[in-house]
Amino acid sequence: MAALTLTVNGVSHTLEIPANRFLAEVLRYDLGLTGTKLGCNEAECGACTVIVNGRSIDSCIFPALKAQGADVLTIEGVAQQWVQEHPAAGTNGDELAHLHPLQQAFVCHGATQCGYCTPGFIMQSKTLLDRTLEPTDDEIKHCLKDTYCRCTGYTAIVSSVKAAAEKMRTGVLPLPDLPDAIAPLEQIGQALPRPDAVDKVTGHARYADDYLFQDMLHGATLRSAHPHARILKIDASAALALPGVHAVLTYADVPGELRHGLVEYDWPAFAGGAYPARYVGDPIALVVADTPEQAHDALAHIQVAYEVLPAVTDPVAARSPEAPVLHPDRPTGNLLKHIKVRHGDIDKGFADADVIIERTYRTPRTEHAFLEPECSVAVPAGWDDPQYGQHDKLTIYVGSQIPYADRHQVARCLGLPEDAVRIKGTVMGGGFGGKEDIAGQVHAALAATVTGRPVKILYDRAESLRFHPKRHATLIRIKTGAKRDGRLTAVQAELYGDSGAYASLGEKVMTRATTHATGPYVMDSAQIDCYAMYTNNAPLRRVSRFWRHAVGVCR
Amino acid sequence: MPLWKEYFTPTTVAEALAIRSRYGHDALFVAGGTDLVLDMQHGNHAPVMALVDVTTIGALHQIVEAEDHVVIGAAVTHAEIESNPLVREHGTALTESCGVVGGPQVRNVGTIGGNVAHALPAADGTIGLLALNAEVQVSTFDGNLVNAVWQPLLSIFAGPGKNNLGDNQMVTAFRFHTRHLGQASAFDRIMRPQGVALPILGAAANLTLGDGGLRVAAATLAIGPAGPIPFRATAAEQILQDAVALDDALIERAVLAAQEQAELRTSKHRASKEYRHEMVAVLLQRVLSRSIERARRDF
Repeated sequence: MAALTLTVNGVSHTLEIPANRFLAEVLRYDLGLTGTKLGCNEAECGACTVIVNGRSIDSCIFPALKAQGADVLTIEGVAQQWVQEHPAAGTNGDELAHLHPLQQAFVCHGATQCGYCTPGFIMQSKTLLDRTLEPTDDEIKHCLKDTYCRCTGYTAIVSSVKAAAEKMRTGVLPLPDLPDAIAPLEQIGQALPRPDAVDKVTGHARYADDYLFQDMLHGATLRSAHPHARILKIDASAALALPGVHAVLTYADVPGELRHGLVEYDWPAFAGGAYPARYVGDPIALVVADTPEQAHDALAHIQVAYEVLPAVTDPVAARSPEAPVLHPDRPTGNLLKHIKVRHGDIDKGFADADVIIERTYRTPRTEHAFLEPECSVAVPAGWDDPQYGQHDKLTIYVGSQIPYADRHQVARCLGLPEDAVRIKGTVMGGGFGGKEDIAGQVHAALAATVTGRPVKILYDRAESLRFHPKRHATLIRIKTGAKRDGRLTAVQAELYGDSGAYASLGEKVMTRATTHATGPYVMDSAQIDCYAMYTNNAPLRRVSRFWRHAVGVCR
Repeated sequence: MPLWKEYFTPTTVAEALAIRSRYGHDALFVAGGTDLVLDMQHGNHAPVMALVDVTTIGALHQIVEAEDHVVIGAAVTHAEIESNPLVREHGTALTESCGVVGGPQVRNVGTIGGNVAHALPAADGTIGLLALNAEVQVSTFDGNLVNAVWQPLLSIFAGPGKNNLGDNQMVTAFRFHTRHLGQASAFDRIMRPQGVALPILGAAANLTLGDGGLRVAAATLAIGPAGPIPFRATAAEQILQDAVALDDALIERAVLAAQEQAELRTSKHRASKEYRHEMVAVLLQRVLSRSIERARRDF
């Protein structure tokens, strides 16, 4: 342990911290200043940007002891510092007047959407406006080069920085340019701020990892070392004997149904017992410990005996009769679904064509790259927290796109009636289709129930990338017949979608791909066959526009 | 397992070297940490007992002009170099190379000493310094005293990611000669847009023109990655210096010589050997023409 003295937002603190702690951890977990966000944990995304002695830094990899004696400014202190330096700022009756001009502009110009990147953007932009109040577009882009946003497309952010600079120069905040409305109504046709925009620009919006419960434990997940393997034995005795470790949970600890899923119940909460690990993201055990470090360190002490099975990683190969079968209880083998479109007389269509073009296309799997990695915090029924109060039911705080489906799946796995489970949908740092499946919800709920204490499961970026479902990789063979005048006579297509180890929403996504394979065109005939296949890859699911881009490429 | 258990913040070079000597391989110097911490987190560098932070040593933070040289302390950040007028005047290539390292938040923390000591042949700051014919000050601790010696920059590199400094040694400063009449430098690089820390290729040129700007009196060229350690295109330099007249044909000959001498490789995440071969020509032509244009302003 080492002593750290620093000033944060004008307040002096002295703390005893482990020498390997990073500044972001000190701010978030020791001082409770959770407005500073952790996105990538490797100095790429800028969500953790804070200002140390006047310079912006990525606090995620900034050893906290580097801030010894330093003056640190975080998103929570920006408005207060502005008002102190500009005493007249809050006196003109404007309800945003107590905020820094950057914060006002981000609210009024719609530059905060999911809001997870917003604190980093405001801190980093502030360093530019501290230097110049007439920033050019190029200077703004240069300044924000390593500060990432996944929602806005940056246009609103750039215009906000310029608007804030103008406000600081002239005292007047320019409003965004709106398209002309014939007759603006009270709401429609107006630039309305998001209801949660002020919370998001001040760092007060609470994402799941921002909930810090008293006596909270932390979970860490052991995932399969192989893409396809039977779990013969799990020996957690060495891990259980480590200081701080409260429990090591496996499939045998799940009281209800082991399998969950959005469309099909095919995804075990833990691989083991009747269910092999079917991809390298499959969880095998969950360690619950006093600190995240203890939980993660304990993973190396769990002994797993695997029987490695042959893996199939290509959707075309998965349809072969010789391919290893992932879900033996399914009558259709590795075929998740065969989706067909039949229209007109395909033979006549090609016979009528002047030109026939036949091509094969491949699209890669795509990561959603939401900036907030998945986090679930479960609080057991009956828990009374000094900050968050009494919890009458098992409650899971999670940034989720489908909280009701979460409730159903958690209740199913824990063997509880649905009304014994409450999902608190927190503010979510981007989803784009990537936060619909179960991530840590079931594990956290189980761990809280077993230990009787709140349990948080937070994934880092590397773990999130490894396990969570992505957009399908596809192989598309498409044959198109056309007349010389441009009319289409026939489209014949065969699509293979790699749905990965579990169904998730794979079949729905591939249905959309199938029905969009002809594009928006009228044609005499079409014959389309899509095979959504199980493989030993990470599960695949929708990314925002529900997949249509892939067939769009082929048009 | 903690990546380190103790974190030292020495205030003098002697103190830093004494700690490092005491711990041997169980301690590492850290400056900005923007490379080292990630390497440790990704398991590319084993955990150690102690980190010794050299940025708390005040003497390593200066940029000064002394005895016809610009001297830059090892703990000066890329952002400080980027905005320093002395460096811009006398070592434009270094200004330009430090200005593109990482993003602004990384440049505010990462140091020129760390960039060089990491010994990567593609490191932007190293390429800028190498083109300026910079020297490195290596400080050695003998148990009582610190002895600081200036030596050629290339002398401290042992291989990719490896320097040849001992447990009782550290890099403490860099220096390069102030600008002569008719001298100018430039840096440029080719980079994938995001997500990869190192460039596909970087290059810097430093030319001194004679005869009113019509011939090359002296040339130093650095290209990277073009070998296991940072690379000087000495064959091309010789061709430029030997020629009686500076024209397009001369630059073409110099570029061909550099392409021949460079040891280019294919790297999985960045570029193929063949692509890099072509880019050597593109980049060298760019930095040479910029250096010439800048140098001719003196005539």
